Amino acid sequence: MKMDRRTFIKAVGVLGASLFLQAYKSDLVKALELSETKVLWLHGVECTGCTVSMLDGGSPDIVELLRVLNLKLLFQDVLMMQQGIFVDGKPANTSELNSDILLEEILDNEKGYVLISEGGVPNGPAGSGRYMVIGGKTYKETYEKAAKNASVIIAIGQCATHSGVNAAESEIKELLDHRGIAFTMEDSSKGIVNLLGINTPVININGCPAHPDWVFLTISAVVLGKIKVPDDLPYLLDEWKRPKIFFPPDHVIHDNCPRRGYYDHGELDLTVGGGKCLWKLGCKGPYSHADCATRHWNAHLSFCPQAGSPCIGCVEPGFPDSTRPFFVEIEDSGLVGTHLHTVAGVAIGGALLAAGAHAVRRTVLKKPEEKEGYAEESVSEKAEGEK
Amino acid sequence: MVQVTIDPLSRIEGHYRVNTEVSGEGVITDAQSNALVFRGFERFLQKQDPRDAALLTQRICGVCPVCHSISAANALDELFGVAGEIPKDALVVRNIHQGLNYIASHAAHIYVLWGPDLANPAYHDILMQQGDLGNAVWGELSGRFMPVVNQFDGIRLPPGSSYLGAVMELRRLHDAISLIGGKMPHAVLQHVGGVVYSPTVADIQQLASYVSKTVNFVEAFTLGVSPDTWIENTYRASSPQKAVDFVIGHLQDLLDKSLTNNDFSHSSGWGDVSLFAAFGSELIGEKLLGLPVSMKMDRAGVYPDPAKIGFLSYGVFFKPEKGDGYDPASPADGRVIPSGYMNGSLKLEKFDHQKISESINHSFYIDEKKDRPPWNGVTVPEENPEEIDYTRGSESRYSWAKAPNYNGIPCEVGPLARLMIMGEPLTTGLVKAFQDNGYSPVNNYTRMIARMQEVLVVIPELRKWILQDLEAGAKVAVHTDLSMAKDSEGMGLWEAPRGALGHWVATGSDSMVTLYQAVVPSTWNLAPRNSKGIAGPVEQALIGTKISAAENALGVDYSNPLGILHTVRSYDPCLACAVHTLDRTGKHPAYAIKVV
Repeated sequence: MKMDRRTFIKAVGVLGASLFLQAYKSDLVKALELSETKVLWLHGVECTGCTVSMLDGGSPDIVELLRVLNLKLLFQDVLMMQQGIFVDGKPANTSELNSDILLEEILDNEKGYVLISEGGVPNGPAGSGRYMVIGGKTYKETYEKAAKNASVIIAIGQCATHSGVNAAESEIKELLDHRGIAFTMEDSSKGIVNLLGINTPVININGCPAHPDWVFLTISAVVLGKIKVPDDLPYLLDEWKRPKIFFPPDHVIHDNCPRRGYYDHGELDLTVGGGKCLWKLGCKGPYSHADCATRHWNAHLSFCPQAGSPCIGCVEPGFPDSTRPFFVEIEDSGLVGTHLHTVAGVAIGGALLAAGAHAVRRTVLKKPEEKEGYAEESVSEKAEGEK
Repeated sequence: MVQVTIDPLSRIEGHYRVNTEVSGEGVITDAQSNALVFRGFERFLQKQDPRDAALLTQRICGVCPVCHSISAANALDELFGVAGEIPKDALVVRNIHQGLNYIASHAAHIYVLWGPDLANPAYHDILMQQGDLGNAVWGELSGRFMPVVNQFDGIRLPPGSSYLGAVMELRRLHDAISLIGGKMPHAVLQHVGGVVYSPTVADIQQLASYVSKTVNFVEAFTLGVSPDTWIENTYRASSPQKAVDFVIGHLQDLLDKSLTNNDFSHSSGWGDVSLFAAFGSELIGEKLLGLPVSMKMDRAGVYPDPAKIGFLSYGVFFKPEKGDGYDPASPADGRVIPSGYMNGSLKLEKFDHQKISESINHSFYIDEKKDRPPWNGVTVPEENPEEIDYTRGSESRYSWAKAPNYNGIPCEVGPLARLMIMGEPLTTGLVKAFQDNGYSPVNNYTRMIARMQEVLVVIPELRKWILQDLEAGAKVAVHTDLSMAKDSEGMGLWEAPRGALGHWVATGSDSMVTLYQAVVPSTWNLAPRNSKGIAGPVEQALIGTKISAAENALGVDYSNPLGILHTVRSYDPCLACAVHTLDRTGKHPAYAIKVV
């Protein structure tokens, strides 16, 4: 089966990841004849949760991905035999056991590899990058070399895409100066590639952590030539460099939430542990652009609001500052129109005005305290006159 | 004297360096443990809504996010004054959530992070001197534990069978967590007052199915015998001696069959634990079972001076039999794996959280006081780039980790400490066997066996929580309101897979956070020297350890320092956890945690 780029991109979004591999088997078989694609995977300031999330990818799983697409993983801190070894300050042994020698060989000799960036890049203190020194060098220095010679950078997870929790508001934020790859929070001028003057194209796979499907299917499409870098990127990516197929600009998590029916009926939980709409508990699903509600997580089992937690908007550029406090209703927290994306604001406005949702509008605009006291159990609110 | 430095130590969470001085005989004489990254984590919780802490603090670590979210939820329970009312089923769900992650985290450590060192080329060289037996054992080690990225004599070998099998189980266990927690890593289950999801009848059956499939893996790969047989004869053995006798007897039976045909494969009954239990230890492998060769891990990673080390557990897993609510101070009888402190001579004492303090003399922080309790901590990071230097030796400042102490003594935390304090029969018996035979009871071998055994301790408990204790659709949260957190404080004591974890939180009159502090397992284990100059646990364990494989069996090779790699990795280091920061102002003595 052959397919053009448009079909492919569409299919990636529509099909589950395992179906995707089934359907495009012939393309993948052909891939074996393709030359090897080299992949360099670096860890900056992060929690390794994105590596764990990639190991949790089931269809394809990481080993299958490497094999089927003929990828050669050159370097991955967590999955490799090597480590840095110095004897009297000099690198010892060979690249078979010494990761510093291995990395140096890669940076000196390789070009055109896919760079997977997990974690952010520390710039502090005072632009020195010395809040992260590895193998005697700042990570900033290593990253500069690695990024320059890559054909494409795939930034995975919020620390890499927007600096995420590393850049959350605090008294020492400026001092720390942790940078995302192409953005720091919403600011592209503060992305580390911009600071270092690197022109390598960047694809952002947001999320805390990133979903393995988002990452693996993007890598697949790039390696198979279904996404041409850089020519296709302007129309495949949104303004935050996220593939629109996974982070649709015209679609928010709220649209397909399994609890959506309760929202439409105005049945809203006021205490965690219930089964109804989480709007009053601060859900940011109406403002978050991702396919979590249709794709689901970990073997496509569940996702945050389905499991009873308000969406905390972990795929959005300003996370966590733009979406916290997590458990306060958006209208009360004064967030609307400040950090959150205006398109989403319009979307929720539209939903509120939609037929059948008038009752909801009356309900959600009413403070729960005015209606009745909090109960111990999960409390649902029914729109007046609805039943 | 030769200086051997590992920088970075890979296959851990985060970024870590360790520097050693090694004698001409290949014995480590000095060590500095360096945490390399300053991330600045708890600081951004300041002035914020405390309820966010359960979701935000787990982002300290993607390998063990669950324990952070539970520690935070525990601290918030006390902060909101509801710890005594948390519904029993919420506590059971917390146990299940943590239990699933214990097995996943231990599997990740044993197979993905630590295991690949068993396929180090040095063992190839040692085993090749042992003819067919050595050849067969090397085939098993490299065929089971080879990581994804490797290069052996110019060739990339396929990843190991046990390694890949474990990755699949890791995924399965994370699927199980996702079923009730929305996603994993960074599941969204934990919340002040309980949990956010009440599992249904269907969820319970599905959880049980995941666990039973993982038990199949444990049988086929890890143990080679039925886990129930193993549990019955070790964890539930009537005495420590009987537990040890069972394991030795089991290994002897395997060996009797295999010595004639040199078949050490999974199919001949050699589970990964059995293979390691026999060939990892000089005492058990060579002296008791009569093997011609072993990795001698029982000789490495020992503490030279019992007066300078302790073992600590805060206690983990609520007891469902106690019904609703729990005591945040974690008294000795409060948890399934109990709290406790054991001194360097293995004498058990009652745990008292007020004996915890942290030193910063050898860390890149600035403070006029050198020791502080965590609930009154201060963290001002070094701002001068020139000062961030890891190469100035043991007297200097050399780490982003602080040095925690219990009563002024550095402590090892983790499965070995927990199971010794619990009196788990196999661990207790093994520790005693080493002591009786002139070995140090605590060494790299017992540290790893304890981690493996803890999986077998958790499995039966996990099945009980899922199938007996959890009531489908039960109430799992009490209602809380932000005003309940006004001018309050809370403490969350728990055990991460890799050791003792505490969160401390205080709030002001607007219920917003004034102090947030976490003291985490890898800060304990990988600590630099404390204010009295006592080396941290890993530093102590390195001093006296031989640099190369199997006690320098093939002579001294500084360029393949397996002695360092095994020792440091045996603690399951997690650096993102170890380096953290707290309240810069430290102006809130009034919010000191109340004596409980």
